[in-house]
Amino acid sequence: MPYARFLRNLLLAAVPVAAVWLLLTPLYNRFLVASAENLLHLAERPDVTELAPAAEGEGYYLIVRKDFPPAKRTVYSLRVTDIHFHLLLLGALFLAVPDVPWRRRLGNLGWALLIAVFFHIALVFFWVKFAYATQLGSWSLEHYGAFARNFFGLGKHLLDLPFKLAFPLVLWAGFYFRLLAPAPERAAA
Amino acid sequence: MARKTSQHSPAAGDGRRPPGRRREIVFLVVFLVLLGVSFTAISLQPVNDRVIEPFTAGIARVSGATLNLMGQGITMRGTIIENHRFAVNIRNGCNGVETMLIFISAVLAFPATWAARGAGLVLGILAIQVVNLLRVVALFLTGAYFPKLFDASHTVIWQTVVILFGVLLWIFWASRFAAPRAARAEPA
Repeated sequence: MPYARFLRNLLLAAVPVAAVWLLLTPLYNRFLVASAENLLHLAERPDVTELAPAAEGEGYYLIVRKDFPPAKRTVYSLRVTDIHFHLLLLGALFLAVPDVPWRRRLGNLGWALLIAVFFHIALVFFWVKFAYATQLGSWSLEHYGAFARNFFGLGKHLLDLPFKLAFPLVLWAGFYFRLLAPAPERAAA
Repeated sequence: MARKTSQHSPAAGDGRRPPGRRREIVFLVVFLVLLGVSFTAISLQPVNDRVIEPFTAGIARVSGATLNLMGQGITMRGTIIENHRFAVNIRNGCNGVETMLIFISAVLAFPATWAARGAGLVLGILAIQVVNLLRVVALFLTGAYFPKLFDASHTVIWQTVVILFGVLLWIFWASRFAAPRAARAEPA
């Protein structure tokens, strides 16, 4: 792969990708929170979880439990923008690949973004369950067993750190691995 | 009806995937497993206490010394770097370990000779730590002189820069050093 052109393309792609991400972030935050809330409601009866905008600013949300006493309803806060900032990397990496027609680059980016949406919804879900299972002291111990506490704790840790940070690389490698490691018969030709 | 097969199309009838796809899947599975195992390992208390915390303290000391060279009048308190303008606590997440583990996992999962892997790991880890040092220094200066920009710089900009650097380093290593050797080593 022509690395110098890849780098040049990456720099060129970074600015428009960042602009689009900044522009769409408020809208995407609301979509993510609403989707995750719906997913959470599938796992609880009655629907007690609410993700409410926080006063800190755009992207900050409060995890609210409507069945708790008013003074204790806000159980945790979450910055949703942190969950999807890796889209900057994803977009720039996918658009920068040299020697691939634009149509295919955009098509691959579309698939990658679709996968990313599901990943983000799952990550918000795990953040909320992590807060319930491990951050509420005796209430957590009372309502979540040892397995559930470890599952949601480790799940949130792995999704929020390694898998979120490596997500652009994983998807990029999934679509463009052959540019780096040609199949043996192609390399030998 | 018989289908014509070639080296570049899926092998029909024998149920095997084409070699390229199989290599991608093997890479991704090994990469994700290494990633999961390594991040689980560093989340264990003994590993955190005996490896990650001392390493993070080392990063803080080097960052503080670098800032002192720039005339910032830094004093250190454990992993806290401070002067009369600003103070920052270097914690897990600020030590470059995440990027290092992603890079190490990707290098180990990629089909390459062990010599290419070894050289890639040593030089890559050093390069990531240099960029991470730049991040800590730049973040401290941002906090000291442009405090309103600190939050976005910390969580979005520098995080993206350091991870992107690790990814680009791996792509560079894989395309320039690892892939050609791996291709030569495999029979045609």
